[in-house]
Amino acid sequence: MLLPVLGTVFVVVTYPLLLAVGQSLRATRGGSFVGLRNYASALEDPLLYDALGATGVYAGIVLPAEILAGLGLALLVHRTVRSARVRLAVYILATLPIVIPPVAVGVIARLIYAPGYGVLNHLLRLAGLVQAEIPWLSRRDTAMLAVSSVDVWQWTPFVYLVFFAGLQTVPPESIDAAQVDGASGWTLFSRIELPYLRPLLLMVLFFRIADVLRVFDHIFILTGGGPGSTTQLLSIYLYRVAFKFFDTGEAAALAVMVMLAMSLLYAAVTRLLPLERD
Amino acid sequence: MPRRRSGRLWRVVGPPVLGAVGLAYAFPLYWLLVTALKGEGELYQATPSLYPLQPTLAAFSSVLVTRGFLGLLRNSIVVCGATVLLVLAIGFAVTYPITRLKVSRRLRVGVLNWALSLRFLPPVAVVVPYFAIVRGLGLYDRRLALVLIYTVLNLPFSIWMLKGFLAEIPLEIEEAAFVDGASRWVAFRRVLLPLAAPGILASGVIIFAFAWSEFLFALILTASPRAQTFPVGVQGLVTQFEIIWNDMAAAGAIALAVPLGLMVVARRYVLAGLTFGVIRGQ
Repeated sequence: MLLPVLGTVFVVVTYPLLLAVGQSLRATRGGSFVGLRNYASALEDPLLYDALGATGVYAGIVLPAEILAGLGLALLVHRTVRSARVRLAVYILATLPIVIPPVAVGVIARLIYAPGYGVLNHLLRLAGLVQAEIPWLSRRDTAMLAVSSVDVWQWTPFVYLVFFAGLQTVPPESIDAAQVDGASGWTLFSRIELPYLRPLLLMVLFFRIADVLRVFDHIFILTGGGPGSTTQLLSIYLYRVAFKFFDTGEAAALAVMVMLAMSLLYAAVTRLLPLERD
Repeated sequence: MPRRRSGRLWRVVGPPVLGAVGLAYAFPLYWLLVTALKGEGELYQATPSLYPLQPTLAAFSSVLVTRGFLGLLRNSIVVCGATVLLVLAIGFAVTYPITRLKVSRRLRVGVLNWALSLRFLPPVAVVVPYFAIVRGLGLYDRRLALVLIYTVLNLPFSIWMLKGFLAEIPLEIEEAAFVDGASRWVAFRRVLLPLAAPGILASGVIIFAFAWSEFLFALILTASPRAQTFPVGVQGLVTQFEIIWNDMAAAGAIALAVPLGLMVVARRYVLAGLTFGVIRGQ
């Protein structure tokens, strides 16, 4: 029973990957074999480096922000909230943003940042902080901040949940013993709690790096990659090469390179993560 | 008491920070709802009102009826429902043997590693081959294409989730049924399935929620209301030249309400599913 099912699933999942390799070696028009020419033209396109840069900036903003905020909030709730009922309520609330469709989050962000109706400018003016309207989505610096803020809004709760669950696994006896020895504050955290959180930190990092390459929906809704190519992350760029420039060969070459990069990440994951396979 | 001394700073900082975080999550959702409940006249005030002056459901009826999003809603429900059934069936066919039968450790680890590796494959990397395959099969602009692709996308973490749930049910319970003369199929249906039911339900809900959210493939592989899903419709309202704010907000609110409602059922398991079992549910 296992082998036929597994075999079929394996073929269904793997065939598209092989097809991508095949497409990457053929000309978009005509389909003749062109060797690595698609790879060369993909690597020659300056827009690729813009996309890589934008992806790096995006990751450089959202990963530290989510990890620090998630960790800080986990410690905060762990230290100050004792009531089991409140903890459960926070747990339930924190699971909610994870399942909100990114398209809907994009809509919400639009209602906040857009010129005209966007509420952020009105709130800032109400507070007397700005006089003129700030065009959040059409300035290069603020556009990147706006799309990053959406990611942070949606994914910090996930990071929080992971770290909060990790803090529950720290044995209270270790904490008590350390406190008797006079440890407190930073020492307590870095010496006793952090070792328990380290594998989770790695997991969050790996999963979130993989996710940065998946980011598509909310940027597509919010800025469409603009202004210019400021927020055109790798996924948006690949989509444009395939479905706006209709260059299937080059898009497939990009896809294969992304797959290779991700298999390196995956190799690190299997080596460093405490996954239960038994 | 050292514990009290070290906790004082946290206790001072705690409430205001938690309050601010709560506001940062509540206000955007509030603003979505408020906008969805506004009438057309309120959209073009110089300073938009922070609450609806005359709350109305006009935007919802405009989206669902006038714009015909009811059809997209039906597409979404059909696609997601079919995906859930297919993923659970295949997921069981894969996880039952590796948790219940005597298979080699290498096969089991191999299957689980392979499922995990797919988590690191960005969907956009397979967009080009999937598009070619779907065209080749004549499934372009058909809901079936989305069902098949969503099944592939959701299978990896479903395998890990189902494996987690099945592994928690002791083998002895089934063995007792075998001793009483039950066949493997009967033991599966009468003993294992009822015990695994809460986990299966949770997996189903989460698969539904993820399939419901999917946008990239739905955007690329559909072209008309006969197969377009709800998120594609929402996107259509956003990128128009002139955005009708209340309609867009109403559509966004519907897109958001469905998975939020479902999460009430599955909340205990969502974290275990998302982290491939590294974190257990509460």
